Amino acid sequence: MMEKPQKTQEEQQSSTQMAAPDGGWGWVVVGSLFVSSALVFGLIRCLGVFFVEFVQYFGESAQAVSWITSIGLAMQQLMSPIGTAASNVYGTRPVVMMGGFLSGLGFILASQATSLLHLYLTMGFISGLGWALVFTPTVASVMQYFTMRRSLAIGLGFTGVGLASFAFSPLFQYLVEVYAWRGALLVLGGLSFNMIACGALIRPLGKPKVVLKTENLTKLNKCSSLLSRIFECFELSLLSHRGFLTYAVAITFFNAGYFIPYIHLVAHSRHIGFTEYQAAFVISVTGVADIVGRVASGWFSDLGKIRMPHMLVVWTGLLGLSLMLIPVAVVYSGLIVISVVYGFCAGAMTPLAFAVLPEIVGIGRVLGALGLLQLIESVGGLLGAPLSGWLKDCTGSYTVSFIAAGSFLVLGMLVTMSLPYFWSCTAPPLPSPSKRKSQDGSIEDGLLKQTLSLNSVPENLCPLDDTPYLDKELEK
Amino acid sequence: SEYLLLLTQAKELPAQARRLCKINDGSLHAQLLEDLHLSETTPSPQSDPVITTRKVVSKGQNQVTIEELAILKPQTIELSCYLTDIPNNPPYLTGYWTKDGKGIVNSEETVNRTNEQYILKKTFDILAKDLGNYSCIFKEIQTQVTFVLDVPVIKDKRDKPIVSYTGDSVVLACKLKQTPNTWNWYKANNTEKGLINVTANPLNYKIFIHGNETKLTVLNLTEEDSGKYICSAEFDIKPSESYIELKVLSYIEPLKPFIAIVLEVIVLVTLIFLWEKCNKPQNDNISAGENELCSEQISKLTRDDSNGVENNTARQRKLEH
Repeated sequence: MMEKPQKTQEEQQSSTQMAAPDGGWGWVVVGSLFVSSALVFGLIRCLGVFFVEFVQYFGESAQAVSWITSIGLAMQQLMSPIGTAASNVYGTRPVVMMGGFLSGLGFILASQATSLLHLYLTMGFISGLGWALVFTPTVASVMQYFTMRRSLAIGLGFTGVGLASFAFSPLFQYLVEVYAWRGALLVLGGLSFNMIACGALIRPLGKPKVVLKTENLTKLNKCSSLLSRIFECFELSLLSHRGFLTYAVAITFFNAGYFIPYIHLVAHSRHIGFTEYQAAFVISVTGVADIVGRVASGWFSDLGKIRMPHMLVVWTGLLGLSLMLIPVAVVYSGLIVISVVYGFCAGAMTPLAFAVLPEIVGIGRVLGALGLLQLIESVGGLLGAPLSGWLKDCTGSYTVSFIAAGSFLVLGMLVTMSLPYFWSCTAPPLPSPSKRKSQDGSIEDGLLKQTLSLNSVPENLCPLDDTPYLDKELEK
Repeated sequence: SEYLLLLTQAKELPAQARRLCKINDGSLHAQLLEDLHLSETTPSPQSDPVITTRKVVSKGQNQVTIEELAILKPQTIELSCYLTDIPNNPPYLTGYWTKDGKGIVNSEETVNRTNEQYILKKTFDILAKDLGNYSCIFKEIQTQVTFVLDVPVIKDKRDKPIVSYTGDSVVLACKLKQTPNTWNWYKANNTEKGLINVTANPLNYKIFIHGNETKLTVLNLTEEDSGKYICSAEFDIKPSESYIELKVLSYIEPLKPFIAIVLEVIVLVTLIFLWEKCNKPQNDNISAGENELCSEQISKLTRDDSNGVENNTARQRKLEH
């Protein structure tokens, strides 16, 4: 449960008010995450329908057209810190609403495009920026609203992606048939505006971090206050946090391997000799397993029987294994089984990858941490796909690229095992000045943070602060 | 006199022999004599270089096999049906030919067994009117092999119309495996076809022809440009056609659902803010998010200004007290 800052100018309210609700309005925020992730990632996954049209209309190669998604995804990840920094200053709600507006705007402008470059700029940069402003702050908000059922909440929120992939494929096909790609993009821009409504639903739980901090500045000259504000906004203090850096490296490896099957599974199935429909069925089955995996893993990890980093290691290990086994499956039924396992594990690891973050860096810093994490992991995503494509071109089949993807995941798993406090059987110790007791047996453990206290205690009490690892904290 | 006799006989020669004469212009006399001789003694046109043969092997009885043949120009073609693995191995079978389901007169013949095989062949002169489905049918064992003789068919036809907008341009494409002599585009108005002439309308049409594919670009679309467009691959024997339907929409069409969705978003956002603003705060233990009084919020806004926190004037910010 979150605690209010105790040293602000405002009156203190009763201690129950700033608590992470773990229910109630929190579920509305989960619904907001559901719709947002559907309209961001579900939308991105189904853009393939448009690419056929673009290739025909602009006369460009498929590779040139596929850069649109690459730019969009890259923007979403690279601009994430900006999204979280802005949330730290202005609060999540306006940022997400602005992001929804930008995403829609990008598509509306794209409907007027007369060259592929216009599409890069509109669908890629503008919408990508909008997605960055929507996604990461929304995830952080869900994490702030929940403690005990965090993984389940995130898992449920992410099911939006899978369900949207199902619903959007035929919908986009229909839109393109009736309105051609220009009209379809216009309608999609309107659909993306729904993220503005999603943003409006995210009621803030507290003042934005930086606001609270600066309210209590007494005498500081403008320069250092600006720098310190930037430092605060972007949560750059995390860059010297060993736990965070370890986790960032692990996530980068995960990212390198995670998306490869999504890109190559269809091609691989066709390559072995299955028909288009069989290949499409494999993807559908993987998608269903993905959705089930997310919810199941979220629910199970909230039960608290096994610590979250351990569960993450289990799922990523299984995922890496199944990836390496994909080339082994030459019979159709074998491929289906392996794809189900792959889908389930891929879905299972997603909520955990986010939900384990507060345990490492503390809930107060989770906003900035998410932003920085997305930035760092984008390297993995940007490298992983071209690398596997290159491997395929070199060797002529997808076997080596699947094995490479699997090994990236196993590598990430090994790095995860080097997280501080990994090998202990209980959750990391609680921060000391907190007055709240943690729920017993909960792995989420009371990550009680004083979000901003302005005495000399470091602003975030990450449980690892007690350790010998040095944390440069900004002290005011 | 002898020359005249030869000339008249030349007219009765089959087309192949006459063509041979055309090639060897210098030694016309000698060639004519030779060919006359050939056509008398060997009726089978095996020595003729322009004939094509097609053979299909069918195993077992009660089989129906279909073979497609692309015919580009008028030619003579020999179709052969080879039958093997017939149970009981009868000493002979009766076979006959049909065209498009109708039996061809005098085509029935007795086929003797040779080395466990039964071979039925027939030669056909194919012109444009002769294209169709030719089948060799073996009566006793209900086995049939059908040769589909037709101009190459343009595949990958979209059954849904291509949609575009007024003022925009659109590209219609046709592709074949074989290369025709040329491509032509027509616009169909009800029953008639009008040839699209690029030189007459350079501002509206562009035609691109590259071997086995063609693209028609229609510029400055208007609503009258909607309709059926026919691409025609011209072969010696007959053109092969395929049609594409084009629909030209005005921009209002997609604007309708777009505006509907935008209105829905505006209504939703307004409702969300109104509901939040006018809910009284609840003091019980329900772990809901905060609820604020309207007045609290106003006092907050003034305080925020003094703190130098930027206010986004377009949106209300809810700040936790």
